[in-house]
Amino acid sequence: MPDTETAFQITDEMRAQIGIESEPWTYEVTTTSVRMYARGIGSEDPIHYDVDFAKQQGFRSIVAPLGYIGTPVYLPGSNDPTFGFPRRASGPHLNIPFKGLLDGGTETEYFDVICAGDVLEETSHLADLKLREGARPMLFITNESVYKDKATGKVVAKQRLTSIHM
Amino acid sequence: MTHQVFFEDVHEGDEIPQLRKNCSTQQLVLWAAASGDFYQIHYDKDFAQATGLKGLIVHGALKNAFLAQLLHDWIGEGGQVRRFGCSYRGMDEPGQDILCRGVVTKTYTRDGKHYVDLDVWTERPDGKRTSPGTATVTLPGRG
Repeated sequence: MPDTETAFQITDEMRAQIGIESEPWTYEVTTTSVRMYARGIGSEDPIHYDVDFAKQQGFRSIVAPLGYIGTPVYLPGSNDPTFGFPRRASGPHLNIPFKGLLDGGTETEYFDVICAGDVLEETSHLADLKLREGARPMLFITNESVYKDKATGKVVAKQRLTSIHM
Repeated sequence: MTHQVFFEDVHEGDEIPQLRKNCSTQQLVLWAAASGDFYQIHYDKDFAQATGLKGLIVHGALKNAFLAQLLHDWIGEGGQVRRFGCSYRGMDEPGQDILCRGVVTKTYTRDGKHYVDLDVWTERPDGKRTSPGTATVTLPGRG
């Protein structure tokens, strides 16, 4: 393991980036993306597939399965080709030496139902940094995203994602 | 059509109906396309093993989505999931059962809404809880 990894410490410069808000990015929720996500989780609930059925239940269109808060608009060169998330000029930029990456956790809070046709504006910020020291140090990075309905400006969801770098 | 569960019928310690999953590699690819997460450890065995893993692993966020489906299926059309989350404490492999479970930890009414807190988790066949978490839902009352 390179010395840079074993000697890694969270610096004041890194901590200073906590809370800095990114520029907004557009996330789209479409009938195709909702159905694809529902297939991905193996759901057969017609609320995620059948527009007429969803409307009969009182929704605007098919309902996004929980956990799906839209797909970030992909612009070649501007989004990560593996994970799809936007690489924004603003927001935190951490120079970390670790190569290994795992999901650490996901928390989602809902303030409204998200349906196909919704266009959301997402901003994110670095919420937390934690280092677990040891023979193989692990850096826990938590980002929080806030999603607003572009049409109304209302916050519809917040999501915290923790990644583990080691 | 899901059977509607009502707040008055739910008590602390109740276990909600379980949801059993077993991911094929095809499902992992479907999920990758749906979520936009194309990290190769979920579909390229050589890549996964080169990172030190035994083989392919199920996306953590997919297990999170399974727990969300567990809640969605339970609360029925009259319920709403307010918050849910889990941490990823263990790995699950394709072709292996993933049991999604939940237990009611608290019931309360606030501002006219009926809230239910739960512990939720995914469980491997050996009993290990790989994605422990919590959730809060609201349910309709009978009144």
